[in-house]
Amino acid sequence: MSEIGDIRSPQGGHRRTVILRHVGIFVSLISAWEIACRLGWLDPLFFPFPSAILTGFWRLYVAQGNIWPHLGLTMAEVLVGFVAGSAFGIGLAICVGMVDRLRRYMKPYVVILEATPRIAIGPVIIAAFGFGWTSKTAIVMLVCFFAPFVNTLNGMVGVEAEKLSMFRSMRASKTQTFLKLMLPSALPEISAGLRLAMASALGGALVAEFIASNAGLGVLINQYTSTLNMASAFVCVLTLSALGYFIFRGMEELDRILVFWNDRDRTARVGERRKAAWAAGKGGKS
Amino acid sequence: MTAMAVETATAGDHDAATLPVIAAHDLRKTFAGGSVVAVEDADFQIRPGEFISLVGPSGCGKSTLLRMVAGLLERTSGSLTVHGQEVTGPHPTVAMMFQKPTLLDWRTAVENVLLPTEIAGRVTDADRRRAMDLLELTGLKDFAFSFPSQLSGGMQQRVALARLLQTGADILLLDEPFGALDEFTREHLNVELLRIVNEVRSTTLFVTHNISEAIYLADRVFVMTPRPGRIAGIVEVPFERPRPLSIQQGPEFNALVSRVRATFESAA
Ligand SMILES: Nc1ncnc2c1ncn2[C@@H]1O[C@H](COP(=O)(O)OP(=O)(O)OP(=O)(O)O)[C@@H](O)[C@H]1O
Ligand SMILES: [Mg+2]
Repeated sequence: MSEIGDIRSPQGGHRRTVILRHVGIFVSLISAWEIACRLGWLDPLFFPFPSAILTGFWRLYVAQGNIWPHLGLTMAEVLVGFVAGSAFGIGLAICVGMVDRLRRYMKPYVVILEATPRIAIGPVIIAAFGFGWTSKTAIVMLVCFFAPFVNTLNGMVGVEAEKLSMFRSMRASKTQTFLKLMLPSALPEISAGLRLAMASALGGALVAEFIASNAGLGVLINQYTSTLNMASAFVCVLTLSALGYFIFRGMEELDRILVFWNDRDRTARVGERRKAAWAAGKGGKS
Repeated sequence: MTAMAVETATAGDHDAATLPVIAAHDLRKTFAGGSVVAVEDADFQIRPGEFISLVGPSGCGKSTLLRMVAGLLERTSGSLTVHGQEVTGPHPTVAMMFQKPTLLDWRTAVENVLLPTEIAGRVTDADRRRAMDLLELTGLKDFAFSFPSQLSGGMQQRVALARLLQTGADILLLDEPFGALDEFTREHLNVELLRIVNEVRSTTLFVTHNISEAIYLADRVFVMTPRPGRIAGIVEVPFERPRPLSIQQGPEFNALVSRVRATFESAA
């Protein structure tokens, strides 16, 4: 097992050269940008000097520290909206998925809602909830609702007929069939839905802040751009890139934990853990 | 006792000791509002501990018949009893195994084997020991904590077989359980199946479309013909169980193969 792992993942020495190359590419890109600015090829009014962005980071994060409340607010909107929206989506899908009759009639509504650009409802929500964080969170919720809802429903509908027959022949109750078969079977799709939702959550929050708001990174970007303080605007944009990156990695990790059986190495590790738990007398449970 | 005697009289010429475990009378199943006759007028009785092979070409209604016995499919008409009771739904004494292993990917082999016990109620230490014993019986002792994705197709079917036995059912229904496996693995698993079934003394109904396999495994072979699906004949297999694979080379075995073939042809 470990030999296979060694072949597939880059070995120590190899990994170091990969990192060095990445650093090289990054430094060249930034240098090219800086040089282009200094030579006057790029208008520094719209494309600020990388060095100016760097000092901007210092100013926004340390010297003035004024980015923190906005960053915090945007993150809170994203997090609360994501958790509430996807929980609602998954919950509703489960309710619908367990009732055959409902499932059949839901289809057209789902398709219509799917086809509607979510952000079009943004102004309506703002009208209803005002300019504060509630309306932004509500918009993120809306954006985060659909992918988990549709995927959970699809996952539950896609359970193999033979597996359902098997549960029926074992005279499993509806709850048992759901907990032991349908929900775990749908987990890969649910996890994919969560990733999609998270990917749109950040964008949803920003657009909501662009439409109407008094705080948040979107507001900050608007302010800096309108006062032509491009270096600071870029600091906000790069902050969002970093945020997006970590969210993406986090969701990938969550997927590997939730759907461990699709990952070779993790499957082996979970097997070892269950074996140890069994030996300790606790027995196996999924 | 008197009730039993009455049962026996109506069920056929069996004495109390060989009261049929499964009995069908004019059993019929149609689909699509009666236009597709999947099983027509099936009449048979299966004795305790018997191994029955159900052989026939694709689409002749083998799975349909099996699913009716399992209580997964309602019959259109006729009677079907298991242990003397009319079948109205899944029954705890009947367990079914499918062509695909239908294992749960997120459970280790032994956790998969324990599934029927979990569904029936609480899992005790005795249940856990039994699950381990069954994995040993099916030759998977060293793979108890492997996940399905870490097992070959043949090993997955062994887990499914262990799970089938874990139900404690005394009637086992197997629908082409090894049909998706290669010839070598299948022959090997057939030998194992005979050994295991002898050990647990179950009554077995085994579906296949392989004539030699059907004869090798069974005490009696039910030969089914399509459109409409009916049992065209029953061939008795006189060999003692369990049997070595080598009996398949003898002239007696070949005569049985010819008998089964002839049954198909006379019905066509
Ligand atoms: N749910 C259903 N609805 C309509 N027709 C059905 C249904 N299930 C089976 N049939 C029909 O009944 C007939 C018998 O099907 P069945 O699956 O029992 O055949 P089989 O002998 O098991 O075939 P195979 O060897 O391919 O598994 C076929 O003609 C099939 O099309
Ligand atoms: Mg079939």
